[in-house]
Amino acid sequence: MNATPKVRPPAVPIEILSSDAARIYTHIHPILILSLYAYKFPSIVADPVPALLSSLIPLAILQIVFVAICLPPTGSNTVVVEKKKPGEKKKAPESPISRKIIPAFLSLLLSVLFATPLLAATLVLFGAPISTHYFHTLLCAAHISLLATLPLVYVHGVDGQTWREVVALLLPVDEVYGGMIGTVIGAWLGAVPIPLDWDREWQKWPVTIVTGAYIGFAVGKLVGGTIGKGRKIMFD
Amino acid sequence: MENGEPLPSYEGLAAAFAKAKADKEREEAQGLRPTTRDAAVAQKQGEVHFKAAHGIVIAFFTWILVLHALGIYLFTSGFLLTRLVLDQKSECALPPTDIGQPYSPGSPETGCWHPKSFDKAVVILVDALRYDFTVPFQAEGSEIPHHFHNAIPVLYETAINHPNNAFLLPFIADPPTTTLQRLKGLTTGTLPTFIDAGSNFAGTAIDEDNLLAQLRNASKRIVHLGDDTWHALFPGYFEPNLTHAYDSFNVWDLHTVDNGVTDHIFPLLHPSNTSKWDVAIGHYLGVDHAGHRYGPDHPAMAAKLNQMDGILRRMIEQIDDNTLLVVMGDHGMDSKGDHGGESDDEIQAALFMYSKRKYFGRSSPSYQTPPATAKERPVAQIDLVPTLSLLLGMPIPFNNLGAPIEEAFIGVKGEDYKNLALVNRLTAAQIHRYQHEYALARGLDESTRTSSLSLWATANEVWNSLGGLKKPNRDQLRNAYLSFSAYQIETLRVCRDLWARFDIPRMLNGVTILALSLAVLAIYSRGIEGDRSELTPALLARGIIGSIVGVLVGVGFSFAIPTLPREHVLIYCSAVGGIVGVTTAFWYIRRRIMSPIPNSIWGWSSVIFTVALSVGFAANSFTIWEDEILLHFLTTFGALTAISSFRQKVPADRVLGLYHSILFIILTRITSLSRLCREEQMPYCRSTFYASATSSTSATWQLAIPYVVALLLPTFIRGYYDGTLSYQGSAVLWLGFALRFGLLLSAAYWTLDAADDGDWYPGYGDILKTTKIIIAQITFAIALAFGYSTFSWSKPLLNIENKSKQSQDSSTQVIADGGTSSITILGYANVHGSRYALLITMWLLAIALVQKPMGAGAIGIAAWQIFSLFEIVDTNKLSDTPIGPVVLGLLGSFHFFKTGHQATMASIQWESAFIPLRTIKYPWSPLLVALNTFGAQILCAVAVPAVVLWKQPPKKKGLLGDVAKAMGTHILFYAVINLATTMWAGHLRRHLMLYRIFCPRFMAGALVLLVVDVVGIFIAIGGTRLSFLSVGEVFGWH
Repeated sequence: MNATPKVRPPAVPIEILSSDAARIYTHIHPILILSLYAYKFPSIVADPVPALLSSLIPLAILQIVFVAICLPPTGSNTVVVEKKKPGEKKKAPESPISRKIIPAFLSLLLSVLFATPLLAATLVLFGAPISTHYFHTLLCAAHISLLATLPLVYVHGVDGQTWREVVALLLPVDEVYGGMIGTVIGAWLGAVPIPLDWDREWQKWPVTIVTGAYIGFAVGKLVGGTIGKGRKIMFD
Repeated sequence: MENGEPLPSYEGLAAAFAKAKADKEREEAQGLRPTTRDAAVAQKQGEVHFKAAHGIVIAFFTWILVLHALGIYLFTSGFLLTRLVLDQKSECALPPTDIGQPYSPGSPETGCWHPKSFDKAVVILVDALRYDFTVPFQAEGSEIPHHFHNAIPVLYETAINHPNNAFLLPFIADPPTTTLQRLKGLTTGTLPTFIDAGSNFAGTAIDEDNLLAQLRNASKRIVHLGDDTWHALFPGYFEPNLTHAYDSFNVWDLHTVDNGVTDHIFPLLHPSNTSKWDVAIGHYLGVDHAGHRYGPDHPAMAAKLNQMDGILRRMIEQIDDNTLLVVMGDHGMDSKGDHGGESDDEIQAALFMYSKRKYFGRSSPSYQTPPATAKERPVAQIDLVPTLSLLLGMPIPFNNLGAPIEEAFIGVKGEDYKNLALVNRLTAAQIHRYQHEYALARGLDESTRTSSLSLWATANEVWNSLGGLKKPNRDQLRNAYLSFSAYQIETLRVCRDLWARFDIPRMLNGVTILALSLAVLAIYSRGIEGDRSELTPALLARGIIGSIVGVLVGVGFSFAIPTLPREHVLIYCSAVGGIVGVTTAFWYIRRRIMSPIPNSIWGWSSVIFTVALSVGFAANSFTIWEDEILLHFLTTFGALTAISSFRQKVPADRVLGLYHSILFIILTRITSLSRLCREEQMPYCRSTFYASATSSTSATWQLAIPYVVALLLPTFIRGYYDGTLSYQGSAVLWLGFALRFGLLLSAAYWTLDAADDGDWYPGYGDILKTTKIIIAQITFAIALAFGYSTFSWSKPLLNIENKSKQSQDSSTQVIADGGTSSITILGYANVHGSRYALLITMWLLAIALVQKPMGAGAIGIAAWQIFSLFEIVDTNKLSDTPIGPVVLGLLGSFHFFKTGHQATMASIQWESAFIPLRTIKYPWSPLLVALNTFGAQILCAVAVPAVVLWKQPPKKKGLLGDVAKAMGTHILFYAVINLATTMWAGHLRRHLMLYRIFCPRFMAGALVLLVVDVVGIFIAIGGTRLSFLSVGEVFGWH
């Protein structure tokens, strides 16, 4: 009923940068992420806290490399679309470090500082242990937040209205958004095997959740970039 | 509804209301006018029409309830086999048949029905003594001996070296192979069934005739040492100063019980002490615990068996001439050391008897070697009952089905067939007497017993023919023995069929009825467009006609094929006939039928929550952890509505929706901290419901919880009324005063209860008891008597405010014709919801009283969440989706666990029967236990109509249909759960965990469905009649 006071252009899906490196690396990235996790998996099962902590650094590096190579940083979206030709002509844009690496590190910082505690609280609300395993839960949240929110912050920045749309699932699906949704659904499904009486080491908290998040990230990113691209999530 | 969007008729409606009000006032001054009479006629017609439509909805749901009951009954009668416990006891002076020989019966000193052989007995029960533990290991192929082999050779050696002093035989248990069920079998001689329907309300004590009761009747002194299960079964039977019971629960402890038994049993055998007792029972648990902890193939098992070997050797040495020594296992163990099921390893125990004087014999010399495996010459565990009774000169317990063991009566030479025939005749006669009484009590006709009755007649003929002979020869006596034995074997077989076999056709037909009625309910609730209350008459009529036709067809069938069980055929035909009838009605209204397949995220999440839960019940882990799964789902629901709130266009909806979603999630998580763990959840669960994990009383701090609820909850609920200015009229008195006062009284009740329990004021126990019962009765009176009268006679929660014209809020004010001042109708926005929700708070009070303090907190939070849910549903416009009623189902199931319950028999809080009563009174006591057990589901079922009534305009059409739709959906949730648990229980009927996990969950699911049916139909839909009438009186009928 009440029309939104500020007229905003309808959100468009994020496009992967047009460079060859971006087009290729965007497909290699999930493989690298999954390989990293597969490599670390035995040590995570053996002793989750140190292994999850130490694997955060390579995960952060991989994600930063991914966003820097493949994704348009926040604010560049309209520029890229509208001023494509002048941009190409110039051929000497501002240094990639200030244009890409700094936003990437800012995204990392925001993911770690804001998203991780929020996600940890959410995990507890969903039934994570409330009086024990603090570090397990926190590290689990950190992994989810690096997978899901770091690229999102990189492409969307910190605009409140955009983030309302992000949380409300109102944005059109793209690789970044798909990765986020996939991570969350994967983590949700990761809770399923916990109660089973198989007596496996990997059933311990939070191994299944983190595993679900990694697999969900790869699947969600793939779906978001292909068949899901541009679609909107309908509730009704 | 949305605040910002006035419906077209709104202004006119409110104006009409104001006008009517003004007219009425004028009438009061001037007297009635003709137009008012016309209006009154129309009003009357509308009311009659509503009452009829409402009655038909109730009738339709009742028909669904009947279908559920029939399906559950049919399945249960094929699955949960019940046995009637007869109260009759065998008497020493009344043998079951004439003795027909020089012996005069009736004296326990010489032997009641038969001369006794031993004065005293020592019964050693080595828990889980599997038969292959006791016989020498014989390699099959390249197999090497396990730790449990050859570790307890004493029984075999003694039996082989002194065959006239001892025998060793396989001893077959009837499943379930749990110690409690086995002790029942070993003392009563009956077959175990899941439910022994007796007169006992809650206790576990055996109230049917048994060996121990007979011994006690004959003034024999019984000493018990070891496993305390005996004391639950036989309270007060044992000599208090000699008896020592030990906790059987701690399976990690291998030695405490065993050392206790050993320390106390050997002094009893000393000649100076043998005059102090007649029968001594020692129950060793070490072997069983070693099995549970390590499994049988472990050095600890070998060590334990070696220790038993030493103890038994000493016992054999020390026992005197007139004492019989019985050593036995009550069941075996599987390869992991567990038991409970019916695999060979679990049912094959060992039986050993020893006497210092030569007494035992064998009918064939080759039988002197104990059987190499349990497949050869086994005896049933119930055979111990007549054997021991006759050896000790006791009458055979009335309900016994076992036979005397040959080795104990055939004499040292193995030739005494006369004795054998006598004891078998006695046993068979007692079985015959029992079967006759049982058939009378159960109303069974003789047809089920024709085969055994003819064997009985034959056996008696053989016996009578012996009377004519001067000296019957060996073969004739042996023939008599065998013919009585044949009667016993056949009767046992018949009883096994009756009591221990599943009746698959009944189970399948029960499941069919449940599945078909589920489909009908699904289409009715989710597959009809528009107002279903106008279609219900046609559905109901065809359903009833179908049922009648079904009954007639069933009668025809059962006359045409008399072998079919009539009751079964009638039930099945009437249910299926009714369902076919409704299906034709669906065809008749096919234009209004739409696909019940969901088309929104809310429909899909409702389906996923329900189906995922149901599928999970096929796995014991998911059944055990149901409470955590429900937490996960409820939080997921809250997260989805939080996301959905962000999508709302109106900022007020966004903020309110988000606030209530987050509140809902947080309240769910807080309640989840109240836990009563079931055994299988250990060690991953810590109970917080009571003071400690091993106590069943509340901690002192927990007594404060009901007071907090009393102080805060009415205020919170008032907040939900204040939002629409509905805190008017009766709500002020009820919410503001009566509810709070009632909750305070219930808090006081639990404080007094703790004072009484803990004996805080010695000497005042009686006063405390009386006071607390009176307080509980007053609370019930407030909740139900005062509550229902408020609910019946309350006007809609509205008020009129006269204001000057320029008041801001135009949506709730109207200006009457020619008026200068405006009228604001307070509470208009939520007339139906606020009026109906009073009913929820009444039941809240009644349920909160019967919950333990921690449970009162959980129920209080449940009520708070219910009101939050109403707001969530309203701000996200979900009242048409199935999610509201389904989440109420999840919420009810969740709080079932949080009020200190589990899907186990052990977690039933029987003591709640005594909250407002001193003694057991029918029907109140079972109703109180139901109100305690299913309180959360009851509260949520009562809340269902409010989901679709909350903030709906007073004159919205088809509200009754919406209520029917919501209640149908709510019942559908429980019906799916019930169908799933029923199917899994039936499918997994041979599963090891059937009696521990699947069967209790099935029973809980079936009971919950029936309770929710009854509450939903008669309390909730029934309650809408009162609230609709009250609203209709003011706003008229459309």
